[in-house]
Amino acid sequence: MNMMTRRDFLRSSGVGVGLGLGAGLGLSGCAGTMTGDIAPKSGRRVVVIGGGWGGATAARYIRIADPSIDVVLIEPNREFVSCPFSNLVLSGQRTIESLTLSYAGLRARGVTIIHETATAIEPDTKRVRIGQGYLAYDRLVVSPGIDFQWEQVEGLAAARDTVLHAWKAGPQTVELARQIQSMRDGGVFVLTVPPVAYRCPPGPYERICQVAWYLKQNKPKSKVIVLDANQNIVSKTGLFRAAWKAYPNIDYRASQKVIGVDTSTREVRTEFDRVKYDVLNLIPPQRAGAIAVQADLVGADKRWCEVDHVTYESVKQKGVHVIGDATIGLPVPKSGNVANNMGKAAALSIVSLLNGQAVPLMPPGNTCYSWVSDREAIAVVNSYKIENGKVVQIEQKLTPSQSVSVAQRAEGWRQSIWADMLS
Amino acid sequence: MTSSRFAAVFLTAGFFFAAAPGAARSAGPLDDPAFAKVITCAACHGAYGNSRSDMMPIIAGLDPAYFKRQIENYASGRRPSPEMEPYAKEIQFLGLDQIAAYFAAQKRVPTPIRSSAEAAARGKTIAAQCVICHGPDGKGEAARLIPGIAGQPPGYLVQQMFLLKADTRDPGDPMLAAKKALMKIIPDGQFADLAAYYSSLR
Repeated sequence: MNMMTRRDFLRSSGVGVGLGLGAGLGLSGCAGTMTGDIAPKSGRRVVVIGGGWGGATAARYIRIADPSIDVVLIEPNREFVSCPFSNLVLSGQRTIESLTLSYAGLRARGVTIIHETATAIEPDTKRVRIGQGYLAYDRLVVSPGIDFQWEQVEGLAAARDTVLHAWKAGPQTVELARQIQSMRDGGVFVLTVPPVAYRCPPGPYERICQVAWYLKQNKPKSKVIVLDANQNIVSKTGLFRAAWKAYPNIDYRASQKVIGVDTSTREVRTEFDRVKYDVLNLIPPQRAGAIAVQADLVGADKRWCEVDHVTYESVKQKGVHVIGDATIGLPVPKSGNVANNMGKAAALSIVSLLNGQAVPLMPPGNTCYSWVSDREAIAVVNSYKIENGKVVQIEQKLTPSQSVSVAQRAEGWRQSIWADMLS
Repeated sequence: MTSSRFAAVFLTAGFFFAAAPGAARSAGPLDDPAFAKVITCAACHGAYGNSRSDMMPIIAGLDPAYFKRQIENYASGRRPSPEMEPYAKEIQFLGLDQIAAYFAAQKRVPTPIRSSAEAAARGKTIAAQCVICHGPDGKGEAARLIPGIAGQPPGYLVQQMFLLKADTRDPGDPMLAAKKALMKIIPDGQFADLAAYYSSLR
């Protein structure tokens, strides 16, 4: 594996400073200090907003397919933390460090990374704003992930720093694990599942397995109450139902949309009920990341971005390609593997367009593993074709049952796809 | 940090400020039209089919006839795999011949997964039974659709041995009957050693 660890990252950063690697490091700092043209463009340039599963892959594949194209990635986080496998942090099976990767591999491929937040997009002048400064582009990739609709749950906006979602792997994941570990035996862990569409359809149900597994081992008098806004388990339904037979501590309640939260009385409110919690994991309703809304890339629903199924160019803004969880309209789940595929297809589309060549048809694919215990996993796989310019599913296949063997392949997938994004 | 990576970083820094305007694109991977058809495969099977993980097989350098037979068997369900059955159908949609030829043309890079020398040495003695088909160097025999297994990741090799032993890979396939019979007489506990040996071959 060529994957860099945190220590390698620190070491390579040090080398970067020694070289005066202004491209990667000198440009970071307070956005307020950036004015004018942050990095004047001399050749052809693609700017990528967001260095997650979609954006990191897009940046990497543009450099692979045509190293003469300058790629600038704007990503506020200095390190990449994998959402897939992060539910295993909640059960103590993994550490967050084991899911934390550096961007050094992308830098080594010539991607310039600016650790800032893009504040606006100006499609007419082909500029991305960062504070008072801007970056010019020929084509733009927007991979903003998701943001939360706090206002959909009464009391949540005011309590958003204390009510955890842990739906973006990082400090919240670690804090939720700590809260679960320090919960009294006999305590109630409440997890709420938002209405579709949301990031990672099977994610909440995998999380339920992991927390239930941990509590069964360590706090046998405790229970997990699941308030699901949906009518049934959204993904891998039969397989999760089968897995939950091992966890009598799960109390699953369908069609229970959370409409309010009160941290002083430690209760969540649904349309029909009030539920007391000791530890709460409220996964709020979601929409595309803020920049997509701000830049008017979202549709009439003000939530998700419609795109061309071949090039991922926004149907609303020319020259702007949107990928990953922020998109809607393709028959694909909001998964890391799909974002990775979209990143590649957008990258090769952009390279083809910038070189005046025909854009190849690149249908996506989805391989998605869920851990149902400390050692067993399940999977769903979807394949697709493109017909008349639209992505169409060929087949969906589930593993026949949960097994150690599937979990071993999940490990293989994790290693391979991380390298496919960041090495 | 290797010296080549060091150099890459250095060149990158220079490139950012000195990219030649309107530079013509040199030959790149997109010049091969098959490249855009196999990008989905890379998520599991690595760049150019050279998987770096323990569980995903290396498909670079596979004999094209063997590759095609496997994809057809995955697609029909004869070689059951929840992962590969859908993707096999996607490959058929994109062009099986072209994709088989693409991976066959890629240079195979052996797995970086290392097993202990002791395990590999034990595996070598067990492998005496395997050379009739897979050859003394584990390179297989394309004419008989016997794959090269030298340098494949050990985790993948072990998993395949279990599938063959249980007759869940291509059940009833006469081409695999001898191999399955052999697997049945090798104790499960020796599979890891056998895999260590074949994965260590170059």
